Amino acid sequence: MPARLPLTTRVSLVVSAAALTLSLAVPALAQEKVLRIAMTAADIPRTLGQPDQGFEGNRFTGIPMYDALTQWDLSKADAPSVLIPGLATSWAVDAKDKTKWTFKLRPGVKFHDGSAFNADAVVWNVQKVLDKEAVQFDPSQVGVTASRMPTLRTARKIDDLTVELTTSEPDSFLPINLSNLFMASPAHWQKKFDAAASATPADKSKAAWTAFAADASGTGPFKMTRFVARERLEVAANKAYWDPKRVPKIDKVVMLPMPEASARTAALLSGQVDWIEAPSPDAMAEIKSRGNVIYSNPQPHVWPWQLSFAEGSPWLNKDVRYAANLCVDRESLSKLLGGMMGIPKGTVPPGHPWWGNPKFDIKYDPKAAQALMGKAGFSAAKPLKVKVQISASGSGQMQPLPMNEFVQQSLKACYFDVEFDVIEWNTLFTNWRKGAKDPSANGANATNVSFAAMDPFFAMVRFVSTKTFPPVSNNWGYYGNETVDKLIADARTSFDDKQRDAALAKLHAYIVEDAPFVWIAHDVGPRAMSAKVKNVVQPKSWFIDIATMTMQ
Amino acid sequence: MAILAGAPPAIVPVVFERSPGYWATVWRKLRRDKVAMAAGFVVLLLVLLAVFGSYITPADPFKASMLSRLKPIGTAGYPLGSDELGRDMLSRLMMGARLSLFMGITPVLAAFFLGSAIGILAGYAGGAVNTAIMRTIDVFYAFPSVLLAIALSGALGAGITNSLISLTVVFIPLIARVAESATVQVRGREFVEAARASGASAFTIVRVHVLGNVLGPIFVYSTSLIAVSMILASGLSFLGLGVKPPQPEWGLMLNTLRTAIYTQPWIAALPGVMIFITSISFNVLSDGLRSAMDVKQ
Amino acid sequence: MFASLARRIVYTLPIMAGVALVCFLLVHLAPGDPLVSVLPPDASEDLRQQLIKLYGFDRSLPEQFLSWVWRALHGDLGTSIASGRPVAAEVYKAVGNTLMLAAVATLIGFFFGSLFGFVAGYFSGSWVDRVASLLSIVGVSVPHYWLGMVLVIIFAAQLNWLPATGAGPGGSTDWHWNWEHVQYLILPAVAKSVVPMGIIARTVRALVAEMLAQEFVVGLRAKGLTDYGVFRHIVKNVAPTALAVMGLQLGYLLGGSILIETVFAFPGTGFLLNSAIFQRDLPLLQGTILVLAMFFVLLNLVVDLVQGTLDPRISRA
Repeated sequence: MPARLPLTTRVSLVVSAAALTLSLAVPALAQEKVLRIAMTAADIPRTLGQPDQGFEGNRFTGIPMYDALTQWDLSKADAPSVLIPGLATSWAVDAKDKTKWTFKLRPGVKFHDGSAFNADAVVWNVQKVLDKEAVQFDPSQVGVTASRMPTLRTARKIDDLTVELTTSEPDSFLPINLSNLFMASPAHWQKKFDAAASATPADKSKAAWTAFAADASGTGPFKMTRFVARERLEVAANKAYWDPKRVPKIDKVVMLPMPEASARTAALLSGQVDWIEAPSPDAMAEIKSRGNVIYSNPQPHVWPWQLSFAEGSPWLNKDVRYAANLCVDRESLSKLLGGMMGIPKGTVPPGHPWWGNPKFDIKYDPKAAQALMGKAGFSAAKPLKVKVQISASGSGQMQPLPMNEFVQQSLKACYFDVEFDVIEWNTLFTNWRKGAKDPSANGANATNVSFAAMDPFFAMVRFVSTKTFPPVSNNWGYYGNETVDKLIADARTSFDDKQRDAALAKLHAYIVEDAPFVWIAHDVGPRAMSAKVKNVVQPKSWFIDIATMTMQ
Repeated sequence: MAILAGAPPAIVPVVFERSPGYWATVWRKLRRDKVAMAAGFVVLLLVLLAVFGSYITPADPFKASMLSRLKPIGTAGYPLGSDELGRDMLSRLMMGARLSLFMGITPVLAAFFLGSAIGILAGYAGGAVNTAIMRTIDVFYAFPSVLLAIALSGALGAGITNSLISLTVVFIPLIARVAESATVQVRGREFVEAARASGASAFTIVRVHVLGNVLGPIFVYSTSLIAVSMILASGLSFLGLGVKPPQPEWGLMLNTLRTAIYTQPWIAALPGVMIFITSISFNVLSDGLRSAMDVKQ
Repeated sequence: MFASLARRIVYTLPIMAGVALVCFLLVHLAPGDPLVSVLPPDASEDLRQQLIKLYGFDRSLPEQFLSWVWRALHGDLGTSIASGRPVAAEVYKAVGNTLMLAAVATLIGFFFGSLFGFVAGYFSGSWVDRVASLLSIVGVSVPHYWLGMVLVIIFAAQLNWLPATGAGPGGSTDWHWNWEHVQYLILPAVAKSVVPMGIIARTVRALVAEMLAQEFVVGLRAKGLTDYGVFRHIVKNVAPTALAVMGLQLGYLLGGSILIETVFAFPGTGFLLNSAIFQRDLPLLQGTILVLAMFFVLLNLVVDLVQGTLDPRISRA
């Protein structure tokens, strides 16, 4: 607490005893390198292996403490983050039965409690969320896990370092999905289970998971050392980590939940923490002026208008869709947001394996847009009325009101008369599933829900497949046709990683060229850190690798 | 204030059989109380602002501008600065009077009618009806009011209507208790007995004799709840359980401006000043009214 | 005496049952999906149905209520849906933190409230009375969460004298009564103390002024009793009521801590309630409300009983 010192000095005469305690504490802290992080979550994301709190959970209590069979490459800031081997060294689908996969496991990996990571551990971890009969089955982990790997069904041990995974249908997205299944230590859990006092196995299992969450064991670069519910999580370097490049140089990481942006800013400025997530835009200048560093990089995140293709929608005309995409002055919008915005060229950026070189170049060209609108029969005197459902706030929504108002102004130059239906974030989100034809859409022909675009299903498929019409999934606008369904099927059944990516690239190019969205912004995930934190790489990802950072 | 005070509304002494000049006397007394009159004047101004504020705002209270965010107080065109979305603070504070006052006064008004009805019914009917009603009221009374208000709106979900419902539910037991004890007192008096003996219907007795004598004290007590209601209502919006953006309401404005306490701290504090002025004015006025009407609590 | 005590206690039991029922209904009749915190919005309807069954939300309401009450009587308030941790442990820890904050705030409020109230009542009608009364009306009129914000602006953001949020450098678990920790308590406690300060000042002022006007005090004075003697006499008579009000204030501060704890990110019951509401964590929500309401009912009972013993003249309506 160095920043508290002036005050302590001031009152040291009165409370000399307290000052003594403090002075004793400071040298002890100085010896080890401690990184203190303020998260945006209101509670510490769950620590038992399957974090809640969305991707922030994976970022802080998933990736640092655990590994999955596959993982995202977080080592580069200038290239897309791609999938790389994790606890599995290689994988392949069965040549005949495309629902069977073989995963080869990394030898010599140990959990924090010393037990070995092997095929049994993988089977055990699949069962914890998918096998209701298994003693370690935990309903509370099912929701967040199963929805991110919808086709995985069972796991079977072949030998100590080989497992076979089965899916409900052929699904080439499985390796990507598996980056969400973190491996918890079965041996450590068993100890907790045996120690539980409850009567029934179900209650014992529940108690074991509670105990495990307070004293967890994974294979990650950091191991849990202290847990204070809702207040603080401390993890220490795992010097025996299997990847030499990721053996942490920081001794200890402390994570604190701080949902209030102003509280986080206060904590950073007063030296209470070294790193805050999502500083409020208003405080950026102040934060920088006190010698802190702001990191940001476009994330796989899209902030769009998703358009309706229901009968009577003005967006059925492709010229109109193109015109809207060409009429948003994204450069100026970015300036207004203090640069805290990425400029989209599609759902994924150029250079991404799924990019696919679409022929439609999304840029600001009001002349071309006006011409297209003229062709469609609209003019300044006869503007096209469109109505968009938006929210005033919401997770991932950035600054929805001023951003939408800016787009409204921008589109006016191209004969769009934009009306907003401002509703609550939760309602907007729920309506997303109900679709443009539902009364809840309130006559809107576009909706403004931002989304994560890491996994091909969540980035693309759910918005364009005829199988994902409401209420099944989020194809709010009932967009779809045979061509796009065929492209999706191709991607799902291309089992070579390269072929799959090539198929996804075709799908992405098709989507951009058909423009069922107005692509407006990417979030850049700003975070502020004290200058003492070095070797920070902010990848083009929702995640960040703490293990490779250093502290001065 | 009893609600925040913890002191339950004590038995309200009822002034019986008022002379025709009663209200004139009250007004004369109130007029002599300079502090109460000043508070009354402020309340009047605030009510006028609530009614006409939206027509006289110097700028559009909804017009956001990313370029003029958080301008300091005194900036040309922004006499009280601008908020986190670049909207004119003065205009929003003026416009905010409408929702803030509406959210503060409506629940008390609703609870005044419902609580009085319930309390008078319980007090006049007596017996099992009284027991059933008052024991139910006791259960709600057993919750600390802030907790009950927040739990209710938390459960119902954010929104103006739900906040109004929650606050009304919080105030009904308080007012019903006062109404019940006043009614019980009146019921025992000779003139009611006399009316009953002369064959007047229960409805007539309540209308003529009970209402005339109990509404005064209930009214005074209710006015003392307005300040509490203002603070609670804005508190709900502050937590994100009340009014939704972009509507201007002082509690909500405090909430959305919290991120600015490092850059424009005094702008961030402004909506609270408005809540404070309103609640202290209602409190002082209610105190003055109480002593003018000779109601002790 | 004993009979009235027993009657009072027995009378409290149906209220407690009613409170439990209200807590339960409040949370269960409300719209919204109870599983929203564990189920991503992208989840399929199948998965949702499966979880509703696993969590027991498919049972009838009376069935759920009875099993909840039965477990609660055994000290088990269920498991938080969002965190998977037992609710009881979370609530008791939070109650401890809030109680600490509320107690400090009540003491500050009691000290200044009594002081202002006494001075105002003693010099009733003078300018001292006016100033003291003004302070007390400010106390009950100021939105305390806003005052908290202003205190943060001045003492944390501008002067950097005191920490803005939290309950100690290492969280609330390694709490010590030393400066390093106590400094975290100052701003929230001051912000919370204004309401009890105002209430107690008003109560004490009224009692003191009334007592001084009574004939027997005038008589005592005439008999040559010193000012100190009069003072002692007044204190003896005012104390029971002032203490009773203080006791109830403690209950109100405990139940009404959500706004201040949100402003100061203080890990107490209010903070817990806030996250329970926004995560729609039903077991946590109803558990927290239940414990707070029960605490309040019991505190009322205790204040009643103690007050009855101290001063048999005062009986509550």
